[in-house]
Amino acid sequence: MIGLWYEDHEVGQTARLGAHRFTREEILDFARKFDPQPFHLDEQAAAKSIFGGLCASGWHTVSVSMRLLVDGRHAQRKAMAKDGEKAPPLGLGRGVRDLRWSAPVKPGDVIAFSLRVESLRETRRPDWGLIGMRIVGVNQDGREVCAYTLMGLAARRPV
Amino acid sequence: MDLLYFEDFPPDEIVEYGDRLVTAEEIVEFGREFDPQPFHLDEAAARESVAGGLIASGWHSAALMMRMNCDAFFLHSASQGSPGIESIDWLKPVRPGDRLSVRRTTLSARTSRSRPDVGVFEMRFELLNQDRDVVMRVQGPLFIRRRPNGEAQP
Repeated sequence: MIGLWYEDHEVGQTARLGAHRFTREEILDFARKFDPQPFHLDEQAAAKSIFGGLCASGWHTVSVSMRLLVDGRHAQRKAMAKDGEKAPPLGLGRGVRDLRWSAPVKPGDVIAFSLRVESLRETRRPDWGLIGMRIVGVNQDGREVCAYTLMGLAARRPV
Repeated sequence: MDLLYFEDFPPDEIVEYGDRLVTAEEIVEFGREFDPQPFHLDEAAARESVAGGLIASGWHSAALMMRMNCDAFFLHSASQGSPGIESIDWLKPVRPGDRLSVRRTTLSARTSRSRPDVGVFEMRFELLNQDRDVVMRVQGPLFIRRRPNGEAQP
């Protein structure tokens, strides 16, 4: 497990974020709200598309990875509180680099996400550091479905 | 509506579209489902945080931009999708009551070397708020089929 303060991170550290099973219902629900292209919404139209069947919006896939990342950190914060340890203030995401959707996510697919610390950089503000984390999603057949580098601020441990 | 093809998106084009009011309820709804951090969930807790008040998840902003892109052109274009995105920058917070729109800039346009029936664009999408601040910038390639031979121009 990687700690939550900026100083707890080292390039090359890895962590598992957990897995999520994408149901048909949630794929359709996300598509209706945000990405109503036929291959995310309509089984028959999807069968004739380049994907050959219904698949999740790429924005849905990455949003689910965020949920798993946040849940893991929340569990860590709870554990710290239980131990009487002060958890760092939450930092904001600054952006994403090199996002790839390499294979479709179909109803029933179970996607396991992992994280690797890719870069660490101090910022002009002494209380925040910028961390680049490569997040990768792999399906039940071991095939990568998405990958991106999340650039996020992490609080620096007070000296 | 006639399908839009590669030829219908001129190089150097800059267009604006969309008008989307963002409510506190939907910020919280998205936050609960995908990004349950206090500044996406609860106004009081958000005020105590670095965000200084309730803000939309950056992924929610991206999803709202996708919806405006769908309504403006994806749904009636010969889009072949996108293999990915080069960069997303969350530049300013999106707050309840903001009205969002999109400015799309075509940076380059060429024919695919491996698939001569497909055009490849490099596009930049900026999400604007009601003050014309750029709150998010997304840049990446987009594949759109070329107009089939013999099909009449619209």
